[in-house]
Amino acid sequence: MAHNIWKIGGFILIACVLVLVFAVPMGPGLLELRGTGDTAMSNDLDRKMPEYLLTGFGTHWSENPQDLQVLVRSKANLARLEVIDVLDDTHARIGLTLPYSVPSKSWDVLTNHSVDGTLLLENGLFLSDRFIDESIILSDIDIEEFEADLPFHFPYQPRILESIRNLMLHVPMWFTMFVLMGIAFVASIKQLASARATAEDEKAESAVRVGLLFGILGLVTGSVWARFTWGAWWVDDPQLNGALVTVLVYSGYMVLRNSLESAALRARLSAVYNLFAFVILIILLMVLPRFTESLHPGKGGNPGFNSYDLDSALRAAFYPAVIGWILIGLWMHRINMRITRLNKKLK
Amino acid sequence: MNEMEDIMNSSSAPASSAWSRFAALTRHAFKMEFRQKNGLAGLILFSIAAVYTCYQVTGSRADAEAWNALAWVVLLFSAFNAVAKSWPEDAPEMRAYLVHVVRPQEWVLARITFFSLLLCGMSSIVFMAFILFLGTEHLNGMQAVYFFMGMLVTSVALASLLAMIQALAVRANGGFGLIAVLGLPLIIPVILIATRYGMDILHGISFADTAHNLLFLGTLSGGFGALGFILFPYLWSD
Repeated sequence: MAHNIWKIGGFILIACVLVLVFAVPMGPGLLELRGTGDTAMSNDLDRKMPEYLLTGFGTHWSENPQDLQVLVRSKANLARLEVIDVLDDTHARIGLTLPYSVPSKSWDVLTNHSVDGTLLLENGLFLSDRFIDESIILSDIDIEEFEADLPFHFPYQPRILESIRNLMLHVPMWFTMFVLMGIAFVASIKQLASARATAEDEKAESAVRVGLLFGILGLVTGSVWARFTWGAWWVDDPQLNGALVTVLVYSGYMVLRNSLESAALRARLSAVYNLFAFVILIILLMVLPRFTESLHPGKGGNPGFNSYDLDSALRAAFYPAVIGWILIGLWMHRINMRITRLNKKLK
Repeated sequence: MNEMEDIMNSSSAPASSAWSRFAALTRHAFKMEFRQKNGLAGLILFSIAAVYTCYQVTGSRADAEAWNALAWVVLLFSAFNAVAKSWPEDAPEMRAYLVHVVRPQEWVLARITFFSLLLCGMSSIVFMAFILFLGTEHLNGMQAVYFFMGMLVTSVALASLLAMIQALAVRANGGFGLIAVLGLPLIIPVILIATRYGMDILHGISFADTAHNLLFLGTLSGGFGALGFILFPYLWSD
Protein backbone atom coordinates (compact mmCIF):
# COMPACT_ATOMS: atom_id res chain seq x y z
CA MET A 1 0.00 0.00 0.00
CA ALA A 2 2.67 2.47 1.07
CA HIS A 3 4.75 2.07 -2.07
CA ASN A 4 1.68 2.50 -4.26
CA ILE A 5 0.69 5.80 -2.69
CA TRP A 6 2.05 7.80 -5.65
CA LYS A 7 -0.22 5.93 -8.07
CA ILE A 8 -3.27 6.76 -5.97
CA GLY A 9 -2.01 10.33 -5.64
CA GLY A 10 -1.62 10.67 -9.41
CA PHE A 11 -5.07 9.22 -10.01
CA ILE A 12 -6.72 11.57 -7.50
CA LEU A 13 -4.82 14.57 -8.90
CA ILE A 14 -5.92 13.82 -12.46
CA ALA A 15 -9.50 13.23 -11.34
CA CYS A 16 -9.53 16.59 -9.53
CA VAL A 17 -7.88 18.35 -12.47
CA LEU A 18 -10.37 16.93 -14.97
CA VAL A 19 -13.23 18.14 -12.77
CA LEU A 20 -11.57 21.57 -12.52
CA VAL A 21 -10.90 21.71 -16.27
CA PHE A 22 -14.50 21.14 -17.23
CA ALA A 23 -16.35 22.64 -14.25
CA VAL A 24 -14.58 25.91 -13.40
CA PRO A 25 -16.36 28.85 -15.05
CA MET A 26 -14.61 31.40 -17.23
CA GLY A 27 -14.05 34.96 -16.07
CA PRO A 28 -15.83 37.74 -17.93
CA GLY A 29 -14.35 39.63 -20.88
CA LEU A 30 -15.22 41.77 -23.87
CA LEU A 31 -15.37 40.15 -27.31
CA GLU A 32 -16.07 43.03 -29.70
CA LEU A 33 -17.70 46.40 -30.30
CA ARG A 34 -19.17 46.46 -33.79
CA GLY A 35 -21.15 49.11 -35.62
CA THR A 36 -24.67 48.04 -36.58
CA GLY A 37 -25.09 50.63 -39.32
CA ASP A 38 -28.15 52.11 -37.56
CA THR A 39 -28.41 55.40 -35.77
CA ALA A 40 -30.21 56.14 -32.52
CA MET A 41 -31.41 59.26 -30.79
CA SER A 42 -29.26 60.26 -27.84
CA ASN A 43 -31.01 61.23 -24.62
CA ASP A 44 -28.15 63.39 -23.34
CA LEU A 45 -26.90 65.13 -26.46
CA ASP A 46 -30.25 65.53 -28.23
CA ARG A 47 -28.85 64.44 -31.58
CA LYS A 48 -28.48 61.27 -33.62
CA MET A 49 -25.55 58.99 -32.94
CA PRO A 50 -24.18 55.82 -34.61
CA GLU A 51 -25.30 52.63 -32.94
CA TYR A 52 -22.86 49.89 -31.93
CA LEU A 53 -23.37 46.40 -30.55
CA LEU A 54 -21.09 45.46 -27.65
CA THR A 55 -20.59 41.72 -27.18
CA GLY A 56 -19.30 40.41 -23.90
CA PHE A 57 -18.07 36.96 -22.90
CA GLY A 58 -19.38 35.47 -19.67
CA THR A 59 -20.64 38.85 -18.47
CA HIS A 60 -23.69 39.45 -16.28
CA TRP A 61 -25.12 42.70 -17.64
CA SER A 62 -28.79 41.78 -17.26
CA GLU A 63 -28.38 41.40 -13.50
CA ASN A 64 -27.88 45.13 -12.90
CA PRO A 65 -28.40 46.74 -16.34
CA GLN A 66 -28.36 50.25 -14.98
CA ASP A 67 -24.81 49.69 -13.62
CA LEU A 68 -23.21 49.09 -17.02
CA GLN A 69 -20.87 51.90 -17.99
CA VAL A 70 -19.04 51.85 -21.34
CA LEU A 71 -16.02 54.07 -21.91
CA VAL A 72 -13.35 54.46 -24.54
CA ARG A 73 -9.77 55.38 -23.82
CA SER A 74 -6.87 56.48 -25.94
CA LYS A 75 -3.72 57.53 -24.08
CA ALA A 76 -4.90 60.20 -21.64
CA ASN A 77 -8.26 60.69 -23.30
CA LEU A 78 -11.30 59.09 -21.74
CA ALA A 79 -14.87 59.41 -22.98
CA ARG A 80 -18.15 57.86 -22.00
CA LEU A 81 -20.41 56.08 -24.49
CA GLU A 82 -24.16 55.92 -24.04
CA VAL A 83 -25.76 52.57 -23.17
CA ILE A 84 -29.05 52.51 -25.11
CA ASP A 85 -30.25 49.25 -23.66
CA VAL A 86 -28.96 45.92 -22.39
CA LEU A 87 -30.26 43.08 -24.58
CA ASP A 88 -29.09 40.17 -22.46
CA ASP A 89 -26.15 39.12 -20.30
CA THR A 90 -23.63 39.45 -23.10
CA HIS A 91 -25.14 41.94 -25.58
CA ALA A 92 -25.78 45.68 -25.23
CA ARG A 93 -26.67 48.41 -27.69
CA ILE A 94 -24.24 51.30 -27.38
CA GLY A 95 -24.44 54.78 -28.84
CA LEU A 96 -21.23 56.44 -30.04
CA THR A 97 -21.34 59.89 -28.49
CA LEU A 98 -17.85 61.00 -29.55
CA PRO A 99 -17.62 64.31 -31.44
CA TYR A 100 -16.69 64.42 -35.14
CA SER A 101 -13.15 65.57 -34.33
CA VAL A 102 -11.34 63.04 -32.16
CA PRO A 103 -7.75 62.92 -30.92
CA SER A 104 -7.11 59.34 -32.11
CA LYS A 105 -8.39 56.67 -34.47
CA SER A 106 -7.84 53.67 -32.28
CA TRP A 107 -9.46 53.35 -28.86
CA ASP A 108 -9.49 50.82 -26.06
CA VAL A 109 -12.95 49.94 -24.81
CA LEU A 110 -13.63 49.69 -21.07
CA THR A 111 -16.71 48.59 -19.22
CA ASN A 112 -17.56 48.97 -15.59
CA HIS A 113 -20.19 46.78 -14.05
CA SER A 114 -21.04 45.96 -10.47
CA VAL A 115 -20.80 42.18 -11.00
CA ASP A 116 -18.01 41.86 -13.60
CA GLY A 117 -15.71 44.67 -12.46
CA THR A 118 -13.66 46.64 -14.97
CA LEU A 119 -13.12 44.88 -18.30
CA LEU A 120 -10.82 46.01 -21.10
CA LEU A 121 -10.91 45.37 -24.85
CA GLU A 122 -7.67 46.66 -26.35
CA ASN A 123 -8.09 48.53 -29.65
CA GLY A 124 -11.75 47.57 -29.61
CA LEU A 125 -12.95 50.69 -31.41
CA PHE A 126 -11.48 51.94 -34.65
CA LEU A 127 -12.84 55.19 -36.10
CA SER A 128 -11.91 55.42 -39.77
CA ASP A 129 -14.26 58.21 -40.84
CA ARG A 130 -13.50 60.84 -38.18
CA PHE A 131 -11.36 63.94 -38.30
CA ILE A 132 -8.17 63.44 -36.28
CA ASP A 133 -6.95 66.37 -34.24
CA GLU A 134 -4.38 65.35 -31.64
CA SER A 135 -4.72 68.60 -29.73
CA ILE A 136 -8.22 67.68 -28.58
CA ILE A 137 -8.37 66.48 -25.00
CA LEU A 138 -11.33 64.39 -23.84
CA SER A 139 -10.89 63.55 -20.20
CA ASP A 140 -13.49 65.26 -18.16
CA ILE A 141 -14.65 62.09 -16.42
CA ASP A 142 -13.18 59.74 -13.88
CA ILE A 143 -13.40 55.98 -13.93
CA GLU A 144 -13.12 53.88 -10.84
CA GLU A 145 -11.43 50.65 -11.93
CA PHE A 146 -12.03 47.67 -9.70
CA GLU A 147 -11.61 43.91 -9.64
CA ALA A 148 -14.84 41.96 -9.43
CA ASP A 149 -15.28 39.57 -6.54
CA LEU A 150 -16.17 36.54 -8.65
CA PRO A 151 -16.05 32.89 -7.53
CA PHE A 152 -13.09 30.67 -8.61
CA HIS A 153 -12.71 31.11 -12.38
CA PHE A 154 -10.18 30.86 -15.21
CA PRO A 155 -9.06 34.20 -16.62
CA TYR A 156 -10.49 35.53 -19.84
CA GLN A 157 -7.89 35.85 -22.61
CA PRO A 158 -8.68 37.36 -26.00
CA ARG A 159 -8.88 34.76 -28.82
CA ILE A 160 -8.07 31.87 -26.45
CA LEU A 161 -11.40 32.10 -24.58
CA GLU A 162 -12.66 28.71 -23.33
CA SER A 163 -9.74 26.86 -24.91
CA ILE A 164 -7.57 27.99 -21.99
CA ARG A 165 -8.81 24.78 -20.34
CA ASN A 166 -6.59 22.93 -22.80
CA LEU A 167 -3.58 24.28 -20.89
CA MET A 168 -4.14 21.55 -18.30
CA LEU A 169 -4.21 18.85 -21.02
CA HIS A 170 -1.80 19.98 -23.75
CA VAL A 171 1.22 21.26 -21.81
CA PRO A 172 1.49 18.37 -19.29
CA MET A 173 1.56 15.89 -22.22
CA TRP A 174 4.93 17.33 -23.26
CA PHE A 175 6.20 17.53 -19.68
CA THR A 176 5.32 13.85 -19.26
CA MET A 177 6.94 12.95 -22.57
CA PHE A 178 10.11 14.75 -21.49
CA VAL A 179 10.19 12.85 -18.19
CA LEU A 180 9.61 9.47 -19.90
CA MET A 181 12.20 10.12 -22.60
CA GLY A 182 14.58 11.18 -19.84
CA ILE A 183 13.95 7.86 -18.09
CA ALA A 184 14.59 6.06 -21.38
CA PHE A 185 17.81 8.07 -21.83
CA VAL A 186 19.13 7.09 -18.38
CA ALA A 187 18.04 3.47 -18.87
CA SER A 188 19.88 3.36 -22.22
CA ILE A 189 23.09 4.61 -20.62
CA LYS A 190 22.75 1.94 -17.91
CA GLN A 191 22.03 -0.65 -20.62
CA LEU A 192 25.28 0.19 -22.41
CA ALA A 193 27.14 -0.17 -19.11
CA SER A 194 25.67 -3.60 -18.38
CA ALA A 195 27.02 -6.49 -20.38
CA ARG A 196 24.39 -9.17 -20.97
CA ALA A 197 21.24 -8.36 -19.00
CA THR A 198 18.49 -6.59 -20.94
CA ALA A 199 16.42 -5.32 -17.97
CA GLU A 200 17.33 -1.69 -18.62
CA ASP A 201 16.53 -2.13 -22.30
CA GLU A 202 12.98 -3.23 -21.44
CA LYS A 203 12.69 -0.17 -19.21
CA ALA A 204 13.85 2.12 -22.01
CA GLU A 205 11.52 0.47 -24.51
CA SER A 206 8.39 0.85 -22.41
CA ALA A 207 9.33 4.41 -21.45
CA VAL A 208 9.71 5.34 -25.12
CA ARG A 209 6.45 3.58 -25.99
CA VAL A 210 4.45 5.45 -23.32
CA GLY A 211 6.36 8.66 -24.09
CA LEU A 212 5.41 8.35 -27.77
CA LEU A 213 1.77 7.98 -26.75
CA PHE A 214 2.01 11.19 -24.72
CA GLY A 215 3.81 12.90 -27.61
CA ILE A 216 1.03 11.95 -30.02
CA LEU A 217 -1.59 13.12 -27.50
CA GLY A 218 0.36 16.39 -27.21
CA LEU A 219 0.27 16.80 -30.99
CA VAL A 220 -3.48 16.09 -31.09
CA THR A 221 -4.38 18.45 -28.23
CA GLY A 222 -2.06 21.07 -29.73
CA SER A 223 -3.64 20.67 -33.13
CA VAL A 224 -7.13 21.21 -31.71
CA TRP A 225 -5.88 24.30 -29.89
CA ALA A 226 -4.14 25.64 -33.01
CA ARG A 227 -7.39 25.22 -34.95
CA PHE A 228 -9.24 27.34 -32.39
CA THR A 229 -6.69 30.11 -31.81
CA TRP A 230 -4.70 30.26 -35.06
CA GLY A 231 -7.37 28.99 -37.45
CA ALA A 232 -5.53 25.95 -38.83
CA TRP A 233 -4.99 22.38 -37.69
CA TRP A 234 -1.29 22.72 -38.41
CA VAL A 235 0.88 25.80 -38.90
CA ASP A 236 4.49 26.01 -40.05
CA ASP A 237 6.18 26.81 -36.78
CA PRO A 238 9.54 25.69 -35.34
CA GLN A 239 7.99 24.44 -32.10
CA LEU A 240 5.34 22.37 -33.90
CA ASN A 241 7.78 20.98 -36.45
CA GLY A 242 10.22 20.12 -33.67
CA ALA A 243 7.49 18.23 -31.82
CA LEU A 244 6.49 16.28 -34.93
CA VAL A 245 10.09 15.41 -35.81
CA THR A 246 10.68 14.24 -32.23
CA VAL A 247 7.75 11.85 -32.58
CA LEU A 248 9.21 10.65 -35.92
CA VAL A 249 12.65 10.12 -34.35
CA TYR A 250 11.19 7.96 -31.59
CA SER A 251 9.05 6.08 -34.12
CA GLY A 252 12.38 5.32 -35.81
CA TYR A 253 13.51 3.85 -32.47
CA MET A 254 10.53 1.47 -32.50
CA VAL A 255 11.26 0.53 -36.16
CA LEU A 256 14.88 -0.20 -35.28
CA ARG A 257 13.80 -2.44 -32.38
CA ASN A 258 11.44 -4.40 -34.58
CA SER A 259 14.09 -5.01 -37.23
CA LEU A 260 16.44 -6.77 -34.79
CA GLU A 261 16.12 -10.41 -33.75
CA SER A 262 18.84 -10.99 -31.17
CA ALA A 263 17.88 -9.56 -27.77
CA ALA A 264 21.43 -8.60 -26.74
CA LEU A 265 22.19 -6.83 -30.02
CA ARG A 266 18.79 -5.14 -30.00
CA ALA A 267 19.42 -3.84 -26.49
CA ARG A 268 22.78 -2.38 -27.48
CA LEU A 269 21.85 -0.87 -30.86
CA SER A 270 18.59 0.66 -29.70
CA ALA A 271 20.35 2.12 -26.65
CA VAL A 272 22.88 3.79 -28.96
CA TYR A 273 20.11 5.18 -31.18
CA ASN A 274 18.13 6.33 -28.14
CA LEU A 275 21.03 8.48 -26.94
CA PHE A 276 21.11 10.21 -30.35
CA ALA A 277 17.33 10.59 -30.25
CA PHE A 278 17.39 12.31 -26.85
CA VAL A 279 20.09 14.76 -27.96
CA ILE A 280 17.99 15.61 -31.03
CA LEU A 281 14.92 16.01 -28.80
CA ILE A 282 16.78 18.59 -26.70
CA ILE A 283 17.99 20.42 -29.82
CA LEU A 284 14.57 20.38 -31.52
CA LEU A 285 12.38 21.36 -28.58
CA MET A 286 14.68 23.36 -26.30
CA VAL A 287 17.32 24.99 -28.53
CA LEU A 288 16.05 25.61 -32.08
CA PRO A 289 12.69 27.30 -31.24
CA ARG A 290 14.54 29.89 -29.19
CA PHE A 291 16.47 31.01 -32.25
CA THR A 292 13.44 31.64 -34.44
CA GLU A 293 10.23 33.59 -34.47
CA SER A 294 7.39 31.45 -33.28
CA LEU A 295 3.66 31.74 -32.80
CA HIS A 296 3.86 29.28 -29.97
CA PRO A 297 3.73 30.80 -26.46
CA GLY A 298 6.92 30.89 -24.47
CA LYS A 299 9.24 30.81 -27.47
CA GLY A 300 10.97 33.28 -29.77
CA GLY A 301 10.19 36.58 -28.08
CA ASN A 302 6.56 35.72 -27.50
CA PRO A 303 5.62 36.61 -23.94
CA GLY A 304 3.51 33.46 -23.83
CA PHE A 305 1.92 32.35 -20.65
CA ASN A 306 3.74 34.72 -18.32
CA SER A 307 0.53 36.57 -17.58
CA TYR A 308 -1.24 33.26 -16.90
CA ASP A 309 1.49 32.08 -14.59
CA LEU A 310 0.60 34.94 -12.32
CA ASP A 311 -3.03 33.96 -12.22
CA SER A 312 -3.72 31.98 -9.09
CA ALA A 313 -6.69 30.02 -10.51
CA LEU A 314 -4.68 28.69 -13.46
CA ARG A 315 -1.74 27.92 -11.27
CA ALA A 316 -3.97 25.99 -8.87
CA ALA A 317 -5.11 23.75 -11.75
CA PHE A 318 -1.95 23.68 -13.88
CA TYR A 319 0.63 22.50 -11.36
CA PRO A 320 -1.49 19.58 -10.07
CA ALA A 321 -2.21 18.68 -13.71
CA VAL A 322 1.52 18.52 -14.51
CA ILE A 323 2.32 16.42 -11.46
CA GLY A 324 -0.75 14.22 -11.98
CA TRP A 325 -0.07 13.50 -15.65
CA ILE A 326 3.58 12.73 -14.91
CA LEU A 327 2.57 10.27 -12.18
CA ILE A 328 0.01 8.64 -14.51
CA GLY A 329 2.69 8.43 -17.23
CA LEU A 330 5.10 6.76 -14.80
CA TRP A 331 2.40 4.33 -13.75
CA MET A 332 1.64 3.44 -17.39
CA HIS A 333 5.37 2.99 -17.94
CA ARG A 334 5.60 0.59 -15.00
CA ILE A 335 2.63 -1.47 -16.19
CA ASN A 336 3.96 -1.57 -19.74
CA MET A 337 7.36 -2.70 -18.52
CA ARG A 338 5.83 -5.51 -16.46
CA ILE A 339 3.75 -6.69 -19.43
CA THR A 340 6.92 -6.75 -21.57
CA ARG A 341 8.76 -8.81 -18.96
CA LEU A 342 5.86 -11.23 -18.47
CA ASN A 343 5.58 -11.73 -22.23
CA LYS A 344 9.28 -12.50 -22.35
CA LYS A 345 8.90 -15.06 -19.57
CA LEU A 346 5.98 -16.72 -21.37
CA LYS A 347 8.01 -17.25 -24.53
CA MET B 1 42.02 -11.19 -47.71
CA ASN B 2 44.04 -8.68 -49.73
CA GLU B 3 42.03 -5.82 -48.33
CA MET B 4 43.17 -6.48 -44.77
CA GLU B 5 46.80 -6.54 -45.81
CA ASP B 6 46.14 -3.32 -47.67
CA ILE B 7 45.07 -1.66 -44.48
CA MET B 8 48.03 -2.74 -42.49
CA ASN B 9 50.66 -2.32 -45.22
CA SER B 10 49.53 1.08 -46.35
CA SER B 11 50.60 2.68 -43.08
CA SER B 12 54.26 3.52 -42.94
CA ALA B 13 54.74 2.00 -39.48
CA PRO B 14 52.19 -0.82 -39.26
CA ALA B 15 49.75 -0.48 -36.35
CA SER B 16 52.20 1.73 -34.55
CA SER B 17 50.18 4.72 -33.36
CA ALA B 18 46.54 5.72 -33.25
CA TRP B 19 47.21 8.45 -35.78
CA SER B 20 48.82 6.16 -38.34
CA ARG B 21 46.05 3.59 -37.97
CA PHE B 22 43.47 6.36 -38.45
CA ALA B 23 45.29 7.65 -41.53
CA ALA B 24 45.62 4.13 -42.94
CA LEU B 25 41.91 3.43 -42.46
CA THR B 26 40.90 6.72 -44.13
CA ARG B 27 43.28 6.16 -47.03
CA HIS B 28 42.02 2.61 -47.39
CA ALA B 29 38.38 3.78 -47.47
CA PHE B 30 39.19 6.12 -50.35
CA LYS B 31 41.16 3.45 -52.14
CA MET B 32 38.20 1.08 -51.95
CA GLU B 33 35.81 3.81 -53.09
CA PHE B 34 37.92 4.76 -56.12
CA ARG B 35 38.53 1.12 -56.98
CA GLN B 36 34.78 0.73 -57.55
CA LYS B 37 34.57 3.29 -60.33
CA ASN B 38 31.02 2.46 -61.37
CA GLY B 39 29.73 3.05 -57.83
CA LEU B 40 31.31 6.50 -57.71
CA ALA B 41 30.10 7.32 -61.19
CA GLY B 42 26.61 6.27 -60.14
CA LEU B 43 26.68 8.76 -57.25
CA ILE B 44 27.79 11.61 -59.49
CA LEU B 45 25.21 10.70 -62.10
CA PHE B 46 22.47 10.63 -59.43
CA SER B 47 23.37 14.12 -58.23
CA ILE B 48 23.57 15.62 -61.71
CA ALA B 49 20.34 13.92 -62.77
CA ALA B 50 18.62 15.21 -59.62
CA VAL B 51 19.76 18.78 -60.33
CA TYR B 52 18.69 18.43 -63.95
CA THR B 53 15.25 17.23 -62.78
CA CYS B 54 15.00 20.33 -60.58
CA TYR B 55 15.95 22.47 -63.56
CA GLN B 56 13.23 20.85 -65.66
CA VAL B 57 10.45 20.95 -63.05
CA THR B 58 11.08 24.59 -62.19
CA GLY B 59 11.22 25.50 -65.88
CA SER B 60 14.60 27.16 -65.21
CA ARG B 61 12.78 30.01 -63.45
CA ALA B 62 13.49 29.09 -59.82
CA ASP B 63 13.22 32.10 -57.49
CA ALA B 64 15.60 32.48 -54.54
CA GLU B 65 13.41 30.45 -52.15
CA ALA B 66 13.02 27.54 -54.58
CA TRP B 67 16.72 27.70 -55.54
CA ASN B 68 17.70 27.44 -51.88
CA ALA B 69 15.22 24.69 -51.01
CA LEU B 70 16.14 22.56 -54.03
CA ALA B 71 19.87 22.94 -53.40
CA TRP B 72 19.60 21.60 -49.84
CA VAL B 73 17.16 18.84 -50.72
CA VAL B 74 19.38 17.61 -53.54
CA LEU B 75 22.41 17.77 -51.24
CA LEU B 76 20.51 15.81 -48.57
CA PHE B 77 19.45 13.05 -50.93
CA SER B 78 22.85 12.89 -52.59
CA ALA B 79 24.36 12.46 -49.13
CA PHE B 80 21.95 9.64 -48.27
CA ASN B 81 22.62 8.03 -51.64
CA ALA B 82 26.38 8.26 -51.06
CA VAL B 83 26.41 6.64 -47.63
CA ALA B 84 23.42 4.28 -47.78
CA LYS B 85 25.25 1.12 -48.70
CA SER B 86 27.52 -1.33 -46.99
CA TRP B 87 31.21 -1.19 -47.77
CA PRO B 88 33.39 -4.33 -47.94
CA GLU B 89 34.81 -3.36 -44.52
CA ASP B 90 31.32 -3.58 -43.04
CA ALA B 91 31.11 -7.32 -43.65
CA PRO B 92 30.96 -9.34 -40.39
CA GLU B 93 34.17 -11.25 -41.09
CA MET B 94 36.04 -7.99 -41.83
CA ARG B 95 34.77 -6.54 -38.55
CA ALA B 96 35.85 -9.68 -36.72
CA TYR B 97 39.36 -9.08 -38.03
CA LEU B 98 39.44 -5.31 -37.63
CA VAL B 99 38.47 -5.37 -33.94
CA HIS B 100 41.84 -7.01 -33.27
CA VAL B 101 43.99 -4.52 -35.15
CA VAL B 102 42.32 -1.12 -34.74
CA ARG B 103 40.39 0.58 -31.97
CA PRO B 104 36.73 1.34 -32.70
CA GLN B 105 37.33 5.05 -32.05
CA GLU B 106 39.98 5.14 -34.77
CA TRP B 107 37.61 3.34 -37.06
CA VAL B 108 34.69 5.72 -36.49
CA LEU B 109 36.87 8.82 -36.84
CA ALA B 110 38.25 7.44 -40.10
CA ARG B 111 34.70 6.76 -41.24
CA ILE B 112 33.56 10.29 -40.37
CA THR B 113 36.57 11.77 -42.15
CA PHE B 114 35.93 9.61 -45.21
CA PHE B 115 32.23 10.54 -45.27
CA SER B 116 33.03 14.22 -44.75
CA LEU B 117 35.43 14.34 -47.68
CA LEU B 118 33.11 12.22 -49.84
CA LEU B 119 30.13 14.48 -49.09
CA CYS B 120 32.22 17.62 -49.61
CA GLY B 121 33.01 16.21 -53.05
CA MET B 122 29.33 15.46 -53.62
CA SER B 123 28.33 18.97 -52.59
CA SER B 124 30.92 20.46 -54.94
CA ILE B 125 29.34 18.48 -57.78
CA VAL B 126 25.82 19.47 -56.71
CA PHE B 127 26.84 23.13 -56.43
CA MET B 128 28.51 23.18 -59.84
CA ALA B 129 25.54 21.43 -61.42
CA PHE B 130 23.22 23.98 -59.81
CA ILE B 131 25.25 26.87 -61.19
CA LEU B 132 25.35 25.21 -64.60
CA PHE B 133 21.63 24.42 -64.85
CA LEU B 134 19.77 26.78 -62.51
CA GLY B 135 22.02 29.78 -62.99
CA THR B 136 23.65 32.22 -60.62
CA GLU B 137 21.16 35.07 -60.79
CA HIS B 138 20.57 34.81 -57.03
CA LEU B 139 24.26 34.46 -56.17
CA ASN B 140 26.43 37.51 -56.76
CA GLY B 141 30.16 37.60 -56.10
CA MET B 142 30.97 36.56 -52.57
CA GLN B 143 27.47 35.16 -52.01
CA ALA B 144 28.42 32.10 -54.08
CA VAL B 145 31.53 31.55 -51.95
CA TYR B 146 29.56 31.83 -48.70
CA PHE B 147 26.81 29.53 -50.00
CA PHE B 148 29.36 26.91 -51.04
CA MET B 149 31.05 27.25 -47.65
CA GLY B 150 27.70 26.53 -46.02
CA MET B 151 27.35 23.42 -48.18
CA LEU B 152 30.77 22.17 -47.07
CA VAL B 153 30.02 22.73 -43.35
CA THR B 154 26.65 21.02 -43.80
CA SER B 155 28.40 18.10 -45.49
CA VAL B 156 30.60 17.62 -42.43
CA ALA B 157 27.54 17.75 -40.13
CA LEU B 158 25.68 15.24 -42.32
CA ALA B 159 28.74 12.98 -42.41
CA SER B 160 29.26 12.98 -38.64
CA LEU B 161 25.67 11.86 -38.04
CA LEU B 162 25.27 9.52 -41.03
CA ALA B 163 28.48 7.65 -40.15
CA MET B 164 26.80 6.42 -36.97
CA ILE B 165 23.42 5.80 -38.61
CA GLN B 166 25.05 3.82 -41.43
CA ALA B 167 26.96 1.71 -38.91
CA LEU B 168 23.73 1.12 -36.96
CA ALA B 169 21.82 0.08 -40.06
CA VAL B 170 24.63 -2.25 -41.17
CA ARG B 171 24.66 -3.91 -37.73
CA ALA B 172 20.86 -4.29 -37.89
CA ASN B 173 21.15 -5.86 -41.37
CA GLY B 174 18.83 -3.18 -42.68
CA GLY B 175 19.19 -1.65 -46.09
CA PHE B 176 18.54 1.80 -47.51
CA GLY B 177 15.08 1.83 -45.92
CA LEU B 178 16.39 1.58 -42.37
CA ILE B 179 19.00 4.31 -42.97
CA ALA B 180 16.25 6.60 -44.27
CA VAL B 181 13.85 5.83 -41.40
CA LEU B 182 16.54 6.34 -38.75
CA GLY B 183 18.53 9.08 -40.44
CA LEU B 184 15.99 11.46 -42.00
CA PRO B 185 14.26 12.58 -38.79
CA LEU B 186 17.60 12.93 -36.99
CA ILE B 187 19.07 15.01 -39.81
CA ILE B 188 16.20 17.52 -39.95
CA PRO B 189 17.75 20.02 -37.47
CA VAL B 190 20.90 20.16 -39.61
CA ILE B 191 18.90 20.79 -42.77
CA LEU B 192 16.72 23.41 -41.05
CA ILE B 193 19.76 25.41 -39.95
CA ALA B 194 21.44 24.99 -43.34
CA THR B 195 18.31 26.17 -45.16
CA ARG B 196 18.06 29.23 -42.94
CA TYR B 197 21.73 30.04 -43.58
CA GLY B 198 21.30 29.63 -47.34
CA MET B 199 18.20 31.82 -47.34
CA ASP B 200 20.05 34.54 -45.40
CA ILE B 201 22.91 34.45 -47.91
CA LEU B 202 20.54 34.55 -50.91
CA HIS B 203 18.62 37.45 -49.36
CA GLY B 204 21.84 39.42 -49.21
CA ILE B 205 22.27 39.40 -45.44
CA SER B 206 25.92 39.97 -44.59
CA PHE B 207 27.99 36.92 -43.75
CA ALA B 208 28.81 38.25 -40.29
CA ASP B 209 25.12 38.40 -39.41
CA THR B 210 24.37 34.80 -40.37
CA ALA B 211 27.70 33.16 -39.50
CA HIS B 212 26.22 31.98 -36.19
CA ASN B 213 24.29 29.38 -38.22
CA LEU B 214 27.59 27.92 -39.46
CA LEU B 215 28.89 27.95 -35.91
CA PHE B 216 25.76 26.10 -34.84
CA LEU B 217 26.29 23.51 -37.59
CA GLY B 218 29.91 23.14 -36.49
CA THR B 219 28.77 22.58 -32.90
CA LEU B 220 26.27 19.97 -34.07
CA SER B 221 28.97 18.12 -36.05
CA GLY B 222 31.22 18.23 -33.00
CA GLY B 223 28.40 16.87 -30.83
CA PHE B 224 27.50 14.09 -33.25
CA GLY B 225 31.19 13.25 -33.68
CA ALA B 226 31.69 13.08 -29.92
CA LEU B 227 28.59 10.90 -29.48
CA GLY B 228 29.86 8.60 -32.24
CA PHE B 229 33.30 8.49 -30.64
CA ILE B 230 31.80 7.46 -27.30
CA LEU B 231 29.09 5.12 -28.56
CA PHE B 232 30.68 3.40 -31.55
CA PRO B 233 32.57 0.81 -29.44
CA TYR B 234 29.16 -0.52 -28.27
CA LEU B 235 28.06 -0.90 -31.89
CA TRP B 236 31.16 -2.67 -32.95
CA SER B 237 31.67 -5.26 -30.24
CA ASP B 238 29.80 -8.55 -30.20
